[in-house]
Amino acid sequence: MSGLTLEGIHKTYGDVVALRGLELTAAEGELLVVVGPSGCGKTTALRVVAGLERPDAGRVLIGERDVTRLAPAKRNASMVFQTYALFPHLTAGDNIGFGLRARRMKRAEVTLRVREAAALVRCEEVLDRHPYELSGGERQRVALARALARHPDVFLLDEPLSNLDAQLRVETRAEIESLHRRLGATMLYVTHDQVEALTMGDRVAVMRDGSVEQVGTPEEVYAAPVNRFVARFIGIPPLNILPVTHRGGRFLAGPFSFAMRGNDERLARRPLELGIRPEHLVISTAKGNAVATVALVEVAGPETFIHVDAAGHRLIVRAPGSMRPKLGSELLIGVRRANTLLFDAETGETLS
Amino acid sequence: MNPPGRWAPRQGLVASGGWRHLPAALVAATFVFPLWFMLSGSLREAGLPPPRTPELVPWPLAFGNYERAIELVDLPRYALNSLMVVGLAVPLTVLFASWAGFAMSQLPKRTAGVMVGVSLVALMVPVTALLVSRFALFRLLHLTDTFVPLVAPSLMGTSPFYVLLFYWSFKRVPGELFEASRLAGYGSLRTWWRVAMPLVRPVTVAVAVLAFVFTWSNFIDPLIYLFDERKFTLPLGLRSLAQLDPQNFPLLLAGSVMATAPVVAAFLYVQRHFLQRHRGVGWLGR
Repeated sequence: MSGLTLEGIHKTYGDVVALRGLELTAAEGELLVVVGPSGCGKTTALRVVAGLERPDAGRVLIGERDVTRLAPAKRNASMVFQTYALFPHLTAGDNIGFGLRARRMKRAEVTLRVREAAALVRCEEVLDRHPYELSGGERQRVALARALARHPDVFLLDEPLSNLDAQLRVETRAEIESLHRRLGATMLYVTHDQVEALTMGDRVAVMRDGSVEQVGTPEEVYAAPVNRFVARFIGIPPLNILPVTHRGGRFLAGPFSFAMRGNDERLARRPLELGIRPEHLVISTAKGNAVATVALVEVAGPETFIHVDAAGHRLIVRAPGSMRPKLGSELLIGVRRANTLLFDAETGETLS
Repeated sequence: MNPPGRWAPRQGLVASGGWRHLPAALVAATFVFPLWFMLSGSLREAGLPPPRTPELVPWPLAFGNYERAIELVDLPRYALNSLMVVGLAVPLTVLFASWAGFAMSQLPKRTAGVMVGVSLVALMVPVTALLVSRFALFRLLHLTDTFVPLVAPSLMGTSPFYVLLFYWSFKRVPGELFEASRLAGYGSLRTWWRVAMPLVRPVTVAVAVLAFVFTWSNFIDPLIYLFDERKFTLPLGLRSLAQLDPQNFPLLLAGSVMATAPVVAAFLYVQRHFLQRHRGVGWLGR
């Protein structure tokens, strides 16, 4: 096992820039989740590591080895495709052993390795079946086993859960995590689902427009996003954003106002925005809370998302599921300054 | 109908009842009559005046026409020659057409598009337009009166149409499968053989059958390139038969039956591949 490093990777397709100077490092044995909206270049990054795309500039290192110019098979990286890419004409077992036969491994050894890989993802009983005879979950396991059988240095997973139904997705998510722990393998996991990113990743890399915005532990990206984009991308429902003005030593943001302190004076020289996560908006009758009118109530089982209008702004409040305010009724909402994020309105950068 | 209380899934295209076979039967009948009259005609006593109306079964049955046809013209030898040409041309056609199609399917979209355009243009050039120049070429190479000119087109897939057939079929295979093969360490050739070809088996069979029929019944090329009677292929043999005794049509028909039988047999043998069980969209992973 070894780590993985991407250094200054550039990749363009015609006029479209897919990756611009991508820098990314996954430590040995780390599960690094790359997350971002569609078109941010995350899949391209994975394909560059796999060797399916050749970068225009930059280097790919697996361990200490520079593999930028190496053929895909020589990189010792296994990829699990979003669509699994199982060979329809081969049985599950032959699919798992496909890469091994390519390396002219002896039949007996292939059998052994296939069994071992199948056991790891618990799909031994389907080895004799063809992909069209397998359920979605079983295909997923076979695809994972095919990646495992090669004993790669690095696992590359391209949205492996996106074709599964919700329940299976949660199960498989846990299984991939436990697989990662048992193998201690370096994994690069690409997804557009921030829930997957936060729950699975040792670290999370948030990508936008071909480069990484922030890399950090799930707690870091959630609690201390470097900019507005990361703050909005991580979290459901997304962050509320309010324009900020200041008057008489106070910040005014929508219905809220805070006393300025410390270096706030200096910050206030540029246009600012305030970010408040829906879970940090508190409904209470505490002094100084703002009046908000209920505009929409989304019931989501254990919690309720209440869309409110306050001082001309639409805000989303995350409330306990027991809470069912009437449409048009009024609530008092408040937020603690410590729970807000302050952004430079022009650059989107987080200010502290 | 199912007995009451016993549910069975509707069978989609395979509707119950014989009615759905009716259109197919009508079409088949149209094509069967000429074949039937060829067969019945070949069994008609030689020397009788031709019948006013087509007769379904001649009487008495005269199998002598077959013997006589072989006596007059060395049909077994010609059949062997035809078999040799076909035996070379069909595998080569499949090989080169699938290679070309596979290569095209792996090219960037724009390049492949240009090649499809070129292939279509090539497809529209009538074969006869090139007869003279091709003949000149093979004479220059001293290859006339050999089987080479008959087999040579297969080195280009015989027809751009076959190349396009393969190209379109490979195009329909999800690209990830070829990528997965590359990741596993297979080069283009082994990917073609291990992944691409098994996935388009019905197309391979179709191209093989088409190439077989084309080569087997090819009349113009042997006529132009072959001079030595011992190298003649079956279509030329049939022509000889027609020329030797123009009045004796049962004789010609007997020869025709002998020439056609292998084609029909070959088709009957491979048609089960066309009817290969539909495997669904397993590879899509959805």
